[in-house]
Amino acid sequence: MKLGKEEIQKIVLGVLLLFGMVYSYFNLLLGPLVARQDAYGKSIKGLGPLTATAKSQIEKTKQMEKEAPTVAMTVYQVNAMIPAGSPVAWFPTRVADFFKRRGIDKVTTRLNSESIDKRYAGYRKMTWAIDVPRVGFVQFASAVAALENEEPLIEITNMQIEAGREDVETQHVLLTVNNLVKQ
Amino acid sequence: MALHLNLFHEIQKTKALKRRDPLKISFYGLAAIAIAFAGYYFLQLLQMRTLVEELDKKKADYDKLAPIAKTSKKRDDDLALKVKATDDLIQRIEGRFYWAPVLEKIMTVVPRDVQVIRLSADLPNDGVQRCAVSIDGLSAGSDPRKVAEQLRTALADTFKPKFKKVTSTFRTLEDGTEMVVLDGKQVPTATFAIALQLYVTDPTPEKTPTRLRR
Repeated sequence: MKLGKEEIQKIVLGVLLLFGMVYSYFNLLLGPLVARQDAYGKSIKGLGPLTATAKSQIEKTKQMEKEAPTVAMTVYQVNAMIPAGSPVAWFPTRVADFFKRRGIDKVTTRLNSESIDKRYAGYRKMTWAIDVPRVGFVQFASAVAALENEEPLIEITNMQIEAGREDVETQHVLLTVNNLVKQ
Repeated sequence: MALHLNLFHEIQKTKALKRRDPLKISFYGLAAIAIAFAGYYFLQLLQMRTLVEELDKKKADYDKLAPIAKTSKKRDDDLALKVKATDDLIQRIEGRFYWAPVLEKIMTVVPRDVQVIRLSADLPNDGVQRCAVSIDGLSAGSDPRKVAEQLRTALADTFKPKFKKVTSTFRTLEDGTEMVVLDGKQVPTATFAIALQLYVTDPTPEKTPTRLRR
C-alpha cells in the first residue's frame, strides 16, 4: 500500500501528538506525583526515629522520676546536718562543744576562707582553722575518730601536731578542715 | 456471461480510505495509551493518599509526643543535675580521707626510744589522692640512727597493706648533740625527719625521658 502525502502528514501529526502526550504525562502529572510520594515517604521515615526518641525520652524521665525520691532524701539528710543561720555563728561553737564533750577545752576555731565548688550545687565550702593548744595524743586521736564519724560534712585537710615544750605529755594541734554549708 | 458493472466503486473506495485513515487510527492509539496512563496515574494517586494518611497519623502522634518529650527532657536535665550533685556529695562524704586510722597506726609504730617532736600531715590538691605526712623527732639508744631507720621501715610496712603505694624516706638524719637518759643510762641521740607518702589511688607513672637520637 502506498501512502499519500496527506496520509504521511497525518501519521507525523499522530506521532507528534504521542510524544506530546507522553512528555506531558511524565513531566506534568506522574513526575510531580512521584516526587511528592518520595517526599512523603522520607517524612514518614524521618518521623519514625523522632517519635522513638521522644518515647524513649519520656520513658527515661519516668525512670529518673522513680529515683528522684532517693536523691531528695539524700539532699534532705545532708541539709538536716547543716544548722540554720550563719556558719560563723554556729560552727565554732559546735566544734568547741564537740571537743569539750571529749574533755578537750580551749579550742578556738576561725574562718580561713570560703569558696564555691561547682560540683556541690547549692552548697559552699568553708575552710576553718581549729586550734587545740593542749591535748594528749591518744585523746586527740580518739576525738578525730569521733569527729570523722559524727560529722560527715567535715573533711580534715591539714594537721599540725607539735610536742609541748613545757609538758611533753601534751601536744599543740592545729587542724585545717573543710565543711559544706548551704548557700 | 452477463456483464456486471459496479457503479458504487467510488463510494466504496472513499469508505475504505476513511476506514484506514492514519489520523483516526492515531487517535484511537493515543486514546488507548491515555487510558492506560490515566489508570496508572489513579493507582499512584491512591498510593499517595495512603501515604498522606500515614504521614498525618504519624505527624499527629509526634505532635502529641513532642511537647511531652520536651518537658520530659527539661525535667530529665534537672533531675540529672540533682543526681550528679547528690552523687558528688556522697562521693565527698564517702571518699574523705580518714585520719584517725593513720594516727592510730603511727601511735603503735613509734617505739619508746623515739620522741616525735612534730607531726604535720596534709592532703595535697594535686590530682592524686594522697596524704603527705612529715614526722620530725628524736631517737635515742646506743645506735640512734638505727632506731630512726627502724621507725622509717616500720612506718612503710604498717601502711603498705592499707594504701595503694607508700613511700617513707628520710628528709634529714643527723647525730644529736645532746645525750638523754634512757633506762637509767646516758645514750646518744639523733634527730630525724621522715617524709611519708600514703597514696589512696594509684599515682600516675612518671614519664621516662626519651633518649635523643644522634
